[in-house]
Amino acid sequence: MTPGRSFENAILAGPLVLFLLAILGFPTVLSLVYGFSETSFQTLTTPQFSGLRNFRDVTADPTFWQAAWFSLRFGAITAILQCGLGLALAVYLAPLTQRHGWTVAILIIPMIVAPAMMGLMYRLVLHEFAGPVPHYLYSWLGWSPSFLGPANVFKTVIVAETLQWTPFAFLLFLTAYQSIPQDLREAAAVDGTRPWRLFWKIELPLMMPTVFVALFIRFIDGFRVFDNIYTLVGAGPGGSTTSMSIYIYETFLRRGEIGKAIAAAILLFITAFVILSVAQRLLWGRSA
Amino acid sequence: MKPRMTLRWIVFAIAAFVMNFPVLATLITAFKPPGEVSRNPSLWIEAPTLENFATVLTVSDRLNVYHYLWNSTVAALIGALLPMIVAFPLAWAMVRRGVGRGMLFPLVVNLRALPLIIFAIPLYMMYSAAGLLDTKVGLGLILAVVNLPLALLLLVNAVADIPAEIEEAAHMDGARLPRLLIKVVLPLCRPALITTFVFGFITAWNEFLFGLMLTTRDAVPMTVGASFFFATSGGGVQWGTAAAVMVVAALSPLVLGLVMYRRITGSMVAGAVKG
Amino acid sequence: MAQLRIENLSKRFGNQAVTRDVSLDVEDGAFCVFVGPSGCGKSTLLRLIAGLETADSGRIFVDGRDVTDAPAYDRDLAMVFQSYALYPHMTVRDNIAFALRTAKRPEPEVAAKVAEAARILQLEPYLERKPAQLSGGQRQRVAIGRAIVKAPKLFLFDEPLSNLDAELRVHMRVEIARLHKDLGATIVYVTHDQVEAMTLATKIVVLRDGMIEQVGSPLQLYDDPDNLFVAGFIGSPKMNFLTAYRRGEQLVIPECGGQEISCPELRSTIAEGAEVTVGLRPQFLGRQGGQSLELMIEIVEHFGSDSLVHARSAGAARLLTALVENGRELVSGQRLEARFKTEDLLFFDQAGQRIR
Repeated sequence: MTPGRSFENAILAGPLVLFLLAILGFPTVLSLVYGFSETSFQTLTTPQFSGLRNFRDVTADPTFWQAAWFSLRFGAITAILQCGLGLALAVYLAPLTQRHGWTVAILIIPMIVAPAMMGLMYRLVLHEFAGPVPHYLYSWLGWSPSFLGPANVFKTVIVAETLQWTPFAFLLFLTAYQSIPQDLREAAAVDGTRPWRLFWKIELPLMMPTVFVALFIRFIDGFRVFDNIYTLVGAGPGGSTTSMSIYIYETFLRRGEIGKAIAAAILLFITAFVILSVAQRLLWGRSA
Repeated sequence: MKPRMTLRWIVFAIAAFVMNFPVLATLITAFKPPGEVSRNPSLWIEAPTLENFATVLTVSDRLNVYHYLWNSTVAALIGALLPMIVAFPLAWAMVRRGVGRGMLFPLVVNLRALPLIIFAIPLYMMYSAAGLLDTKVGLGLILAVVNLPLALLLLVNAVADIPAEIEEAAHMDGARLPRLLIKVVLPLCRPALITTFVFGFITAWNEFLFGLMLTTRDAVPMTVGASFFFATSGGGVQWGTAAAVMVVAALSPLVLGLVMYRRITGSMVAGAVKG
Repeated sequence: MAQLRIENLSKRFGNQAVTRDVSLDVEDGAFCVFVGPSGCGKSTLLRLIAGLETADSGRIFVDGRDVTDAPAYDRDLAMVFQSYALYPHMTVRDNIAFALRTAKRPEPEVAAKVAEAARILQLEPYLERKPAQLSGGQRQRVAIGRAIVKAPKLFLFDEPLSNLDAELRVHMRVEIARLHKDLGATIVYVTHDQVEAMTLATKIVVLRDGMIEQVGSPLQLYDDPDNLFVAGFIGSPKMNFLTAYRRGEQLVIPECGGQEISCPELRSTIAEGAEVTVGLRPQFLGRQGGQSLELMIEIVEHFGSDSLVHARSAGAARLLTALVENGRELVSGQRLEARFKTEDLLFFDQAGQRIR
């Protein structure tokens, strides 16, 4: 490589690299410093090194484990529900959406609305006095469940998240479904294959890579959920809807325990990184 | 074929209704006069009115919706444009010269999967020291980071789609790198750039967590501003007004998204499958 | 226009040597065609001249100037790509003008040159269109227009006719030949089609495996090939090859059932009993000549004016082709006495080299 080239490459890559270093690189260094120190908002500039104390505090905190468990369950359940529903909708509605493209637009509206707004909208919709859902449930079925009460709140947030993000899975699967070459279907038809068998034996196997990708992405997004749960119920009754992100937020801003919050964040980062690497190896290792 | 299509239409209608229910209900509530809301929670509006919107759209000391909208717009513009500017040259270098393909590319693309809250805290402290706390620019910068992975991915794909021969022809025509990039590569990436912008703008506008953490008064974006209406400060939530605020808040991305939905659906899929 | 000189040019991609020590001289105003089978390195050689690839060793001189280390945009050459590589987002006018504007020529000069190129290539009605709105032939003319407007030292063509249908190909071949004559340009042209090579070239370079097999005018290569490869590559239909050995003044041909032909011109360099490869073009095998072979006709292909007869000696393996004028009465299964003149025979040794 000629020296002119290296210089050019540096100029081309420079802006992005510098930008990342400034906005993320520096905070990462800060994280490491504060994660291993004792700090408070008053003593921001004078952290005192405290070794692994913060990490011990975090791992000893039952709320932390409750939040971790919540995020895991939440991520897994919502991922499976969204992908299942999304797959079913995509495959079943494919002939319809192909001919009437606008139907896709309507179905993806939930994705375009900010998750935080969606959370607030669910708060309205489920409100005992102002919300239509309790109203109709009571007048038609005589039910009046407490949606945000401790017994039901988990299911409620799961439903809210699922309904907002199923369109994403729907879109992914629709695209994958439509990209299956039509002559494969035609050949199968000539061979006498009926629709269900066609789906099960031919279309679904071809869509499997997308299924895994979708599950993975939705799990990650569910794991690190913040916006819609926070605006809907906050930390939840008894902290029961505290996700990992909410836990970190509360520890930092509400309780001012800086070091502990950062330690939790670092642990979260390591977990996410490990999951990511494992998943990448599984998903792409063979093809790479 | 007919009866099967009808069944599909029914399923579509149910799915569309159920998934969009909160949006519908909010929209309906926004048109109910304040007195009616708690009395009549059904989907039927007894006395439709624009009163709530009027309240929202008039400036008061409790609420200045234009302030929030303006903050969101500026921050989202920065958050959508900055990644494009910064990723474009690198995308070209990655595709044509393999720069950073081994490490930088996976690093940036995997950012998408990391819970960004882990950067939020140190960022807070860094901003507070740098005087970027509660500024539109500060918010815009982190929004740019959020959009960076998809921007890089889409632009790399766009550059890869340009046949190398066209760039060779430009070489033969005497074009050096700046002219090549600006006059030939950039125009050919236009669709991808538009997609990146639209998707980035919507994502940036919808951001909540960073808005919550990094702003207090001057740079509060619309998403956070809307949530102030749900703080039950004295007397419970004014649902009519709150609903109207949410409609206003959701409007920009919704309009942009519906107009451009073909583009963003493509970008969402690309971001997902390749990432 | 200018002359081109290549000295000992070599290039490898990874472990693969694609160009091996190639040296060549192309005179001012020549139409030089690089021809050869896929993978012979002809495109690589062209790209090395263009500056789109860098040679590992050797030198390239354009008009006496050493351009080996110069980047593509400094060599003052023009290239027409196989896919035309037109800028899809620009009009025909802007496509043609691009290079001139890059060189910051004054706008009136640019306009005049573009108009002139458009006139020569009959592109005037299409100047405001975008490439997507043009047909294949029109796009190719735009690609050529982009090249001539630069008044380069050399024109480089990389398989420009491959993407056209058969009829258009013949038409464009004539156009390119005419362009060469009108502009007096020095052209280096790459193709895998030896018909294009034969009809367009003043000089043909036959390449195989990165090396030059022979350089010469089309007729030189046709009449006087240096080796087996060139003899078989140039000329359509392909030359017949037979293995034979010498017995005194005769050639014994085992592949034709041991038939013998009397051949007084046999060189003294061919030893008694030595095996040689004999080449005979189908055009020279048919109804005329002093020698003949007894063959059984398998298939006849009638072209209207001529017929291509595929025949073999009874029970033998080798299938021969004969191009016969007015062969309408010939049918499969018939016996054919295929005549030829011994002067038309070409002899090649065991290494494939021509024995003159």
